[in-house]
Amino acid sequence: MESILNTASIIEGFDQEKYILDEELATVLFLMMKLGKPVLLEGNPGVGKTEIANILANYLKTDLIRLQCYEGLDIHSAVYEWNYQKQLLSIKLQEQSGLSIVEKEAHIFSDDFLLKRPLLQAISGKDKAPVLLIDEIDRADEEFEAFLLELLSAFQISIPEMGTIKALHRPLVVLTSNRTRELSDALKRRCLYHWVHYPNLEKEIRIVEKHLPGIERNLSEQLVLFIQKLRNLKLNKSPGIAESIDWARSLLALGYKELSEEAIARTLGCILKNADDIEMVKNTEYEKLIKD
Amino acid sequence: MPNFSHYSKYGNISEAIVDFGNHAREQELNVGVEETLEILKAAQCGILENLSTFKYTLKSIYCCSEEDQEVFEKLFDWFWEREKLLVKSKTTYKNQSNLHRKTEGSLVMMGKGKQEESSENARNVSGANAIQRLRKTDFSKIEEMESQYLEELALKLWKQMSLRLKRKMKASNRKSQLNIRQTIRANISRGGELIRLHYKDRKKRKKRLVILLDVSGSMDKYSFFLLRFLVALKEHFEKIEAFIFSTNLVRITDYLNTRNLSSTLSLLSLKANNWSGGTKIGASLKTFNEEFAKKVLNGYSTVIVLSDGLDTGSPEELAKELKKIKLRTRQLIWLNPLKGMKGYQPVQKGMSAALPQVDVFRSAHNLDSILELENLLLSV
Repeated sequence: MESILNTASIIEGFDQEKYILDEELATVLFLMMKLGKPVLLEGNPGVGKTEIANILANYLKTDLIRLQCYEGLDIHSAVYEWNYQKQLLSIKLQEQSGLSIVEKEAHIFSDDFLLKRPLLQAISGKDKAPVLLIDEIDRADEEFEAFLLELLSAFQISIPEMGTIKALHRPLVVLTSNRTRELSDALKRRCLYHWVHYPNLEKEIRIVEKHLPGIERNLSEQLVLFIQKLRNLKLNKSPGIAESIDWARSLLALGYKELSEEAIARTLGCILKNADDIEMVKNTEYEKLIKD
Repeated sequence: MPNFSHYSKYGNISEAIVDFGNHAREQELNVGVEETLEILKAAQCGILENLSTFKYTLKSIYCCSEEDQEVFEKLFDWFWEREKLLVKSKTTYKNQSNLHRKTEGSLVMMGKGKQEESSENARNVSGANAIQRLRKTDFSKIEEMESQYLEELALKLWKQMSLRLKRKMKASNRKSQLNIRQTIRANISRGGELIRLHYKDRKKRKKRLVILLDVSGSMDKYSFFLLRFLVALKEHFEKIEAFIFSTNLVRITDYLNTRNLSSTLSLLSLKANNWSGGTKIGASLKTFNEEFAKKVLNGYSTVIVLSDGLDTGSPEELAKELKKIKLRTRQLIWLNPLKGMKGYQPVQKGMSAALPQVDVFRSAHNLDSILELENLLLSV
């Protein structure tokens, strides 16, 4: 990580991983590594928030540990859990062994019986700091958020039966949120904040071409323009960048050289995933959306 | 190093950063000592090489939301490029005078300033009888003199209600699932034989209460009290989201926090441009669906609409938007103050369009009718 000197080298590294990074985000990632602070990425679904963490791990050649948040997520599925079945068996096996209770207890609460969940994994990395992705934090409960606060400031976890485990290498933490609810100020304060926008026309064309080098400029321009117009339509679910790439891939596979009404009608399912939206777009004239 | 041309007045760049931090704090950005220290630390990593890197650094540390970023952009341009100083100070001044005007205006609108009310229902208030009567008096018939008293009474009763709600919730503590973790720990001293069992209960899902309050002209007399009702609820329900609407919709959750209600009210009137104007329920609900529904509604939320249903918008739109809300909630409650009137029939276009979507249709015209909501709120 010491080799990262400036933002330009990050941009280039990401570029090799097929991710087009703008200077602002590169600065944020640079700071994250230099200051050791978590990054909070917010933005609409499908703007590539999660992908940033993936690419970051690739770029740094380290592990990615992912925690997907959901309502009701608790410590036992996020941090650690004891392997109860194994413990019960072990207790039975030791019945005749003549060990003292203290010894028995020490045995069944040892490392062998500990199931490490993502957060514990992230701080117990031995040789390199991993990237820890805490995805869709807005879906977790507020209690869990409060727990995270503690973890993100001290990078240690205490397990009553074993003591405190402190991180040898601080993980690089990336949090993402779709902003379905506001996160607590305390959590935000501990993070570097970045709002991820949809890419502009030119950037999105570059993204599509990066993933599909064979695509013709004409087609990529047309389809990205179409998608960008869809995003202005106030749909229930706006197409993200992944949808653009999927769509381009589908159009190529079907052998289309340019965007026609027929092409759109056949492949609309690639970009719109909501019945109302499809209905609405079908009723507007494609021509209008293709050209200006 | 960027060209910070006007920095002659500061000794060095650190001082300039600290001063910028002060400005940012005034704009309610996330600026504390720690943040400023971090920026100074980052400055040593080479972020001062060019202006944009410098800007992005400050931005990522000082901002906590998309909105913050907009404020920041303006402030940054102003401070580090020092151009819009004059324009800025003028705007602030204008805003202040605006606030003052609106505050006074809203008081009149909410029936506080009006003196020449018909004396039909005006009586002196004293003793238990009066309390009973006040509880049954329609909000719209309450005189200014009594309103103060009613307010106190209302707050007291609503608080009691909230407290009861809380207690009742606590009482359910069913044992259901075995807590293996605790069970094993507790029974180790018995040689691992599972003698005493420990249980765990399903974690209570926090349910959300979302309230949409109509503050249009026809609701004038009621909205004043109903707003207080919201404040009382807010104190005891953690997860409450409140909105007011007339021709547009405004989120007021954050403003219900302050204890000082009158300042809250003046802030609210500033927020809602059309307080006491016409009503476009359908359009307002549409805004709600587009901007807020995804954030505040989940399958466990209860939505309460407080409105008289006198709509100047299209009933089709209202029905459509209401249906969307209905799909995302557990229960949709519509409280209509007019329902308290004798012989009231929900026949207006708006109301009859809304009714098929509504789970519960009740009145909310006096204290008692609101207290009766207790049972409904219990299940929230």
